[in-house]
Amino acid sequence: MSGNIATVGGFKDQRYRDEVLSARSYGQALLAAAKANDRIVCLGADLSQPTETYLFRDELPDRFFMLGIQEANMIGVAGGMARCGDIPFAHSFCVFITRRVYDQIAMQLAYPNANAKIVGFIPGLTTELGVSHQAIDDIALMRALPNMTVFEPSGPEQVGAAFQAALDHEGPVYLRLSMMYGAPAPDESTPLVPLRRGKGLIIAEGADAAIIASGIMVSEALKARALLAERGISAAVANFASLKPLDSALVEELARTRRVLVTAENHSVIGGLGAAVAETIALSNTRPRFGMIGVKDVFAEGGSTPFLLQRYGLAASDIARKVEELHR
Amino acid sequence: MSRNTYTVPQLEERARRLRQHVVRMVARGGIGYLLQGLGAADIFAALYFSELRLREHEPDWVARDRCLLSTAHNTAIFYAALAERGLMPAALLNTYTADGSVLEINASERVGTIVEATCGSLGQGLSVAVGMALSLRRQGLESRVYVILGDGELQEGQVWEAALSAGGFKLDNLCMIIDRNRMQVEGHTDKVVDMDPITGKFEAFGWEATQINGNNMAELTASLERARRAKGKPSLVVANTLTGSGVPFLEGQLNHLTFISKDDAARALDILEGVAA
Repeated sequence: MSGNIATVGGFKDQRYRDEVLSARSYGQALLAAAKANDRIVCLGADLSQPTETYLFRDELPDRFFMLGIQEANMIGVAGGMARCGDIPFAHSFCVFITRRVYDQIAMQLAYPNANAKIVGFIPGLTTELGVSHQAIDDIALMRALPNMTVFEPSGPEQVGAAFQAALDHEGPVYLRLSMMYGAPAPDESTPLVPLRRGKGLIIAEGADAAIIASGIMVSEALKARALLAERGISAAVANFASLKPLDSALVEELARTRRVLVTAENHSVIGGLGAAVAETIALSNTRPRFGMIGVKDVFAEGGSTPFLLQRYGLAASDIARKVEELHR
Repeated sequence: MSRNTYTVPQLEERARRLRQHVVRMVARGGIGYLLQGLGAADIFAALYFSELRLREHEPDWVARDRCLLSTAHNTAIFYAALAERGLMPAALLNTYTADGSVLEINASERVGTIVEATCGSLGQGLSVAVGMALSLRRQGLESRVYVILGDGELQEGQVWEAALSAGGFKLDNLCMIIDRNRMQVEGHTDKVVDMDPITGKFEAFGWEATQINGNNMAELTASLERARRAKGKPSLVVANTLTGSGVPFLEGQLNHLTFISKDDAARALDILEGVAA
């Protein structure tokens, strides 16, 4: 680890911190932080609009580096910039910023523990664009890398906190974000949700079962909770936006205190949140009835998100059914 | 700290010393990158004793020139140059490739900051160099970035992504040296993938490119000098090198990872030390 990376530090300015934390879009959070910290640089591989980095491009052009459609080079460039004390944020879709450039991330960001952030949009099934654009293994890949941190906020209400947590951590972070481009404006009245690295958050109480979810599956889990309540089952919902490090203490507590534990992720059931929770349970002294909701080791197809969630068994009704089965 | 302290004959003498280290290091461990090390000795002498601005007692000096070895396996000569330049203890060379030593066969940053990036996976060094050149330029530092690639490494697609961006960003603080020793694991590079014309390809990508005898010190120092004067373009020096250079009975051989017997090592050292005397 070279000295000049470790000494630079993240963004610590309290005034801008509030602006970042309350941002309901990634692009606004990045821009607000970059105004306060001139070490932040923004790297793009095409896609400024869908990755919300056009805001940065238009306001801070001197710190915006458009590499073109070359993700492998972008990751190497990010490694070089981090080694010179800058804090690069590199952007693309989730598949291209992880699977396509895995060795580059391993060698130029993870191994040197570079203070660089990789930011991906379109997680899991949330796209019409089909199998080439569906990241169902990105969490597994990133989680397997030493030194790597992985965050997936639940939505606009947690994106500012996820950005801040990524910036506060001095080391490589993968931010897995839902695409807001083309989506309705976020509801400003929804309370903001905090994110602490390595911490899960119980967002709804329930004594019989617990649903552990991340990303868009948090809202599916809340809908499942409502369905279960109608059937007399009280389920807690936990938002595990910090996928690595994982809050294993909270997993153990939920496993010890609830009869049923179910994970819900917009990702393959291999190597993601469900697998991480299963590993934690297997290594603990708890033995809950355990189920996993996610993509069941298949490639998917393009389509609307509600359609794909139904088709691949990730909808709220699937979560509720799994909890109910295990609760019997 | 400053560049151009030594004359060409003095640099040639440095290169001979580096070659002696390479033979001893590979002979001691019984394994290592011997032929490439001897072939690249003049490049390393020109860089580490003439071109690079470095501080021996402050290897992580923020305003230093950066030098990346993208062909991270060519370590015997690299470590020898770092030790001779005073950037790491010379005694460490005795541990080359030994279990537990930081001097692994592929250079990693376990050695310290002076190994600017870990590049054993070929094709990545130029991208990292581009990132460094961009950051150093925007930070207003006069540091230059040097990166050594092998000619076989040009087969990696990422090199051409990075070449495009270096040209596009007009990185005149970046200089790439291609150690054209015509050797890869499979054999002669041109028999694997025909590379020529290398300079023409990079010129088309917006680079200032030149081709020289990479075992001729005067040509090396002159080409690095020219690269430093280039404005608005990154520079490429294609250094044609002879594997085993300096030890006639090893010259021109193409064995990627080489073993050398104690007898051959003694013969090689006799030659290298005899020339020096």
